[in-house]
Amino acid sequence: MAADGELSARDDRRVHAHLNACWRCRTRKQEIEAAIGEFIRTHRRTFDRQIPPAAGPRALLKARLAQLAEKQSISWSHWLSHWSRAISFRLSSAIAAACGLGAMAYFIFHIWAGQPTEPMAVTVPDPILTPGAAVLASEKEVCSQSNTKNKVVPVALQRRVFDEYGIRPANPGAYEIDYLITPALGGADDIHNIWPQSNGGTVWSAQVKDALEDHLRDLVCDGQLDLATAQRDIASNWVEAYKKYFHTDRPLTNYR
Amino acid sequence: MPDSSPESNVTRALSASDAGRVSAHSAVEQELIELFDQLRDRLFRYLLGFSLTVADSEDIIQETFLALFLHLQSGKSRQNLRGWLFRVAHNLALKHQRSRRGAESISESIHQTLNQPAPNPEELFEMNETQKRLMTVMLALPEQSRCCLYLRAEGLRYREIAEILDMSLGSVANCLERSLARIARAAER
Repeated sequence: MAADGELSARDDRRVHAHLNACWRCRTRKQEIEAAIGEFIRTHRRTFDRQIPPAAGPRALLKARLAQLAEKQSISWSHWLSHWSRAISFRLSSAIAAACGLGAMAYFIFHIWAGQPTEPMAVTVPDPILTPGAAVLASEKEVCSQSNTKNKVVPVALQRRVFDEYGIRPANPGAYEIDYLITPALGGADDIHNIWPQSNGGTVWSAQVKDALEDHLRDLVCDGQLDLATAQRDIASNWVEAYKKYFHTDRPLTNYR
Repeated sequence: MPDSSPESNVTRALSASDAGRVSAHSAVEQELIELFDQLRDRLFRYLLGFSLTVADSEDIIQETFLALFLHLQSGKSRQNLRGWLFRVAHNLALKHQRSRRGAESISESIHQTLNQPAPNPEELFEMNETQKRLMTVMLALPEQSRCCLYLRAEGLRYREIAEILDMSLGSVANCLERSLARIARAAER
């Protein structure tokens, strides 16, 4: 510890006083220091030659940090967007609550009557469960993909998504387990990017979202829209994104 | 005429908040890149000494700095970030080693390193003999002692080493003392 400078000032002074008077200990200290020097030289010679230049990894780290921040931003803005809507539509919430009570009464009545219930319509994903996630890919890489069809989500993962959303579909065809950011736009194969979208019960169906995905990809690959914006818009609120990019308030029939 | 509806006020508040977050992110990113420049080579040497390949070491360093980003973003302690980075890298290396590598690959990796060509064969021969002797001693050390030695070689204090390896201060001192004594004997031969 004395050779390593790890002693307290008082102990260090005592050790030095002893070393000044003791040849044996002084020699021992020199041997330890020589061993440290030898070890450090060997350590550096052995490993320094293998370390690649830092420029590439530094650039990669910057890109990954930007991607991480983007992901957090997507999640954050989605939450904020909900909050904003909650304030502006607080009056309509009261009306909705009244309707909700009616719906609950209807639901309870049907349970008591032993009749099957309609599947719950899910138009936009829960931003906490599905904030969206993207892989690190450039526009060029995304646009060079030949297969733009969504991959099939493994059954086990589908079950997890249904569980997270508290959905027990009597009719699995009522939902499409969909990528929020489609892989054709760099979306990740990650549970945070996968959600159960209603096939029916809403005009904003899975088919309508598919049309938006195709359109956004065309815009990105034509250089009219940057990839990050496309990913952010579709992840924040795909219905709003549809309205924005198709300049319409309702789904276009010719795209469905 | 400015829109004073509640929704537009919220939107403005959100924009200001967004700007704040972007600026905070830039500051954290800047700090992280500076730490990366200062500590990347040290972490690299430590991980290589831990028996990992160059590619695996590079991956672990990236993961370590991404973990630090999340750590700082969530407002957690900023005390001794150097020690924090080594501790996370150490744990990731252990996890990686457990999942992919056996003890045999440690010596394989080191022997491969030692047998790499250098410009001056005579010098290389001399250097390699010393290296081989020291490496033989290193390989014979318990893993914990080797880790102590490598961390100390990267400038970490005893207290930091104790925290990273979850050991007592006394154990760190004993490990280093014993290891250095063996190295000294090997170097004297």
